[in-house]
Amino acid sequence: MCKECGCDTHGTAPNLSKRIEVIENLLSENDRQALHNREHFDALGVTALNLMSSPGSGKTSLLEATIEALAGEMKIAVIEGDLETENDALRIRRHGVPAVQITTGMACHLDAAMVHDALHDLSLEGIDLLFIENVGNLVCPAGFALGQHADVVLLSVTEGDDKPSKYPVIFRQASRVLITKADLLAHLDDFDPHRAEDAVHRLSADLPIDVLSAKTGAGMAGWLDWLRALRR
Amino acid sequence: MHEASIVSGLMRILLDHAARHGVRRIASVTVKVGRLRSVEPRALIGCFEVFAEDTIAEGAELLVESVPIRGRCDDCGAEMEIAGFVFRCDRCQGGRITVTSGQELYIDSFEATDALS
Repeated sequence: MCKECGCDTHGTAPNLSKRIEVIENLLSENDRQALHNREHFDALGVTALNLMSSPGSGKTSLLEATIEALAGEMKIAVIEGDLETENDALRIRRHGVPAVQITTGMACHLDAAMVHDALHDLSLEGIDLLFIENVGNLVCPAGFALGQHADVVLLSVTEGDDKPSKYPVIFRQASRVLITKADLLAHLDDFDPHRAEDAVHRLSADLPIDVLSAKTGAGMAGWLDWLRALRR
Repeated sequence: MHEASIVSGLMRILLDHAARHGVRRIASVTVKVGRLRSVEPRALIGCFEVFAEDTIAEGAELLVESVPIRGRCDDCGAEMEIAGFVFRCDRCQGGRITVTSGQELYIDSFEATDALS
């Protein structure tokens, strides 16, 4: 074999193909960044929660009701993720809570680097709970760790009660599932909370579920107690 | 389209390893994708074709090997494949299952060819 260029001087086809083993996680960079975020949260004693759901399932309304319910008890900060607009961060700030809006442009999920950038604009000094409201989407956000301590997945009663079966990955990953807008159940005859709970429990038998209404406050107690327990 | 984020990670790792091995051309790349990852193989392959353009991986084949979900029952210890995303033990009907595979998302290997083209 020719040493200069690797060609075969004898005229037969060179066979220089070789398999190179790699074994490296495709999301290793995001995972590294998420770990860094987590260290930052832990150093400051902040509990971080990643809120995920379809668009319009009531994540921001839940946060508004939660902020009001825990006022004077816990210090809360919020990172909002949307493709466009500051609307959600403005809603949160009206409750006197610091909020940073991430606009992802075309990206369908938050990633750890986006959250890290947002942290530069948000002082976590003295904060107990940081809510990270992910982009409304039941697929992509599940794959990207942000450094959170727990994942909360919302399902509103205006969606189908079989949604956990249709989007199993994100519901399986949840630390807690909230069935929201329960005040509308009286007007709906096709959403059965028990069917939704069964669908969640087929994915994870012991997964805690609250059926609640941020609007009326009904069913909020379990959720609020869980948040309090996370801080202990 | 989270596949684009995943493929950008893939390209970074792939080109880094190729440079370390002095590879001049990549013929194929094998990735393992667990079924708990919500990654669509066709979208992954489509993104890869675009991201590989004008690199030493242009035209390379992306082989996506799907990894089934497997779990172990926390109650009776039985090991099983989880079909249809129903996490329930075949043996004792318990619902507490620890996932043992199906979360994979990694580049396994690539085929390098240094033949001049």
